[in-house]
Amino acid sequence: MFARLVAESFARNPRRKLLTAAALVLGMAAATATLTVALDVGDRLAREFRSFGANLLVEPQSDTLPLEFGGVDYRPVDQGAFLSETDLGWLKTIFWRHNIVGFTPFLYLPGQMTIEHRGGKLSQVTLIGTWHQHAVPVPDGSTFTTGLSATHPWWKIRGQWFSDGKDSCVVGAALAAREGISIGEVLELHGSSSALSLPVTGIVSTGQEEDQAVLIPLSLAQDLTGQRGRFRQLYVSALTKPEDASSQKDPATMTPIEYDRWFCSPYISSISHQIQQVLPGTDVRPIRRVAETEGRILTRVGALLWLVTLAALVAAGLAVAATSATTVLERRVEVGLMKALGATNGLVAALFLAEQLMLAVAGGGIGFLLGLGLARAFGESIFGVPSAPRVILLPVILALAALVALTGSLVPLRRASHFQPAPILRGE
Amino acid sequence: MFARLLWNLLRASRARLAVALVALISGAAVISALVNLDLDVERKLTQEFRTLGANIVVAPAYALAGSGASPMSPALMDESVVQTIEAMRTPAVIAVAPYLYVVARASVENSDLPVVVAGTWLDGIRRLEPAWKVTPGWIGSREERNLCLVGRNVARQLGLAPGKEIELRYAGNSIVETVAAVLEAGGPEDNQIFVNLPEAQGLLGSDKRIGLIQLSVEGSANQIESFANRLGQALPSLEVRPIRQIADAEGLLLDRIRLLIFTMVLLILVLTALCVLATMAALAMERREDVGLMKALGGSISRIVGLFLAEVGVLGAAGGLLGYLAGIALSRWIGERVFGAAITPRLDVLPLTVALTVGVALAGAMPLRLLGKVRPAVILRGD
Repeated sequence: MFARLVAESFARNPRRKLLTAAALVLGMAAATATLTVALDVGDRLAREFRSFGANLLVEPQSDTLPLEFGGVDYRPVDQGAFLSETDLGWLKTIFWRHNIVGFTPFLYLPGQMTIEHRGGKLSQVTLIGTWHQHAVPVPDGSTFTTGLSATHPWWKIRGQWFSDGKDSCVVGAALAAREGISIGEVLELHGSSSALSLPVTGIVSTGQEEDQAVLIPLSLAQDLTGQRGRFRQLYVSALTKPEDASSQKDPATMTPIEYDRWFCSPYISSISHQIQQVLPGTDVRPIRRVAETEGRILTRVGALLWLVTLAALVAAGLAVAATSATTVLERRVEVGLMKALGATNGLVAALFLAEQLMLAVAGGGIGFLLGLGLARAFGESIFGVPSAPRVILLPVILALAALVALTGSLVPLRRASHFQPAPILRGE
Repeated sequence: MFARLLWNLLRASRARLAVALVALISGAAVISALVNLDLDVERKLTQEFRTLGANIVVAPAYALAGSGASPMSPALMDESVVQTIEAMRTPAVIAVAPYLYVVARASVENSDLPVVVAGTWLDGIRRLEPAWKVTPGWIGSREERNLCLVGRNVARQLGLAPGKEIELRYAGNSIVETVAAVLEAGGPEDNQIFVNLPEAQGLLGSDKRIGLIQLSVEGSANQIESFANRLGQALPSLEVRPIRQIADAEGLLLDRIRLLIFTMVLLILVLTALCVLATMAALAMERREDVGLMKALGGSISRIVGLFLAEVGVLGAAGGLLGYLAGIALSRWIGERVFGAAITPRLDVLPLTVALTVGVALAGAMPLRLLGKVRPAVILRGD
């Protein structure tokens, strides 16, 4: 009987349900979209932050201090400790290996150069050996391609980067301007143990000291110095999560549970710890300028977005509740009639709530689907990558829809329970 | 007569109107808070980005032929350049600091090492490099000339701790400094010693000369670029270069974040409008009986509809105004929660909020058009 009453109500007067249903669909679509975006935003922004380049620096725990300013180490090549190139594949075996976006080794060496076919005398120059895109063998059998393109994405090149292992070089913009070097010319470079002739394939501008240097493939730099397979510094770009109170503690003083939680969260401190484990004898430090800024902005934008999402949820809830209230009020006459025919307040309320619940499930479901589409569009337009649908949100959205639809009808229903059927039916 | 009718109408349905007003106020509050926030968020975030350190460097033009400069002995410039820059300073300039680098030998007790010594304003780099971790704390004044900051690797290599003394030697000159704190930067600065500029000048034996100047300037990539251009024009013999890493990535990220917040705000705007719409629609439904009566008494349709529109308009304006005030409080609270600093309230959000609220309220009164079709007899009979 009860089911038939509800079914009748839907069949007889579908237009009346339309307003509530529309509000539910719209409100829940908005709620789904904001929640999906808010859940995604941490990861997305962390990835965007990689455009600031590397956030971790790996150096040997050396016996001498690097004589370094403006990004170039001026120590003689035979001094100090080195890192080994063959160990680098292990970086992709740590717990958070998928969060390692890229890494680039650097080897600095003071050298001399002349431009071929010009006959000038040798001039002092800093040579930097590095990778642009290099395939690194990973111990699990795969390879990982990385280099400057991942860790120093803001370096601008005119012409082309050297390809790995090919005999070519790239000249810093300031040096090129000073010496009048253009693409296609051949440089004769002298290192401490040998010399090389390399054609210039591009001019790089970084805004920093590399503008004064010549960049060559790492393997050639190693040949020039006789330091096979070795380098000085490694820049690592990793996706991290902002530090919080639990990550600030010293891992040595953590309880086993705290340690597990810390180890299994992509904090910059836990990732550096894991890198240190696979590259023994190194000193892994967060580049504080980048890491601090990233942490602060991510925390702030995250908090802001959650507040905005909360506002969206409240607005969606209010909108649905307001429309529900309207539809119940509109049906005063019906309530009066039911009461006159002997319905109790409980029955009337149950009838209305059952209707609202069905509307909520239907509206919430459609709204959820619509919201997924909306979230995709948002993700696409904001980050260039559509947000992945999160099915886990469906029960949340349905519960939310039911909650707001029911709350919205409670107040008018309470009023309806005070209705005296006679005046209503008389039309007062 | 119109005014009195309006007044009576407003008074007679106080309870119902109060509900509508609450909906309007909360809607307007959310709108004004978010619009206010959206306008201020970029400024707040560019401030946050200043933890990235210097974004403009002024140095002698290295490219000039015959300067005799090499990486180990870079060209120097006159200290008076700092005054020129200070004179051009705008509120967007967060920090300015001169630097002079010397590769000196550092000796403590019986260890002796070559190390890069940077002479600068020790009280000024705090604003330039807020991301550095300095233990136990920054140096407050550059008047105490013999204090120095040592990088963490230097401290480890030489066994230095705050309070210890260190001797620095270069080409026959020598200075003795007291370690005030150890700094951790995660970069080349960890291998350097920071001393006061006059000390470094004394060490190098080059009075009133500096190597480069670093500036931290707040603003969008374009603003920074144009400030760098103005500096370049004022200092034609020097090279002024914005540090690209920061400017480019910052601009990109800011755009994304702004778009994100803007999209969310737009969504909330639509939802709020929906909420107000529903409330106003309910109000219009309730008015049917009044309309029937008025029509029966001979009121013209246009006049009746006009009366209701005026009612709704008053409601919208009041809601918008009160909502604006509530919204300012809300955005202050959000600003404090999220940024630790209040968001500046903006007056130009007021007309926008009121206009939007009145617009939405009037749109919500659309069902009133139906009133034109009301036939008094049917309504008064109670159908």
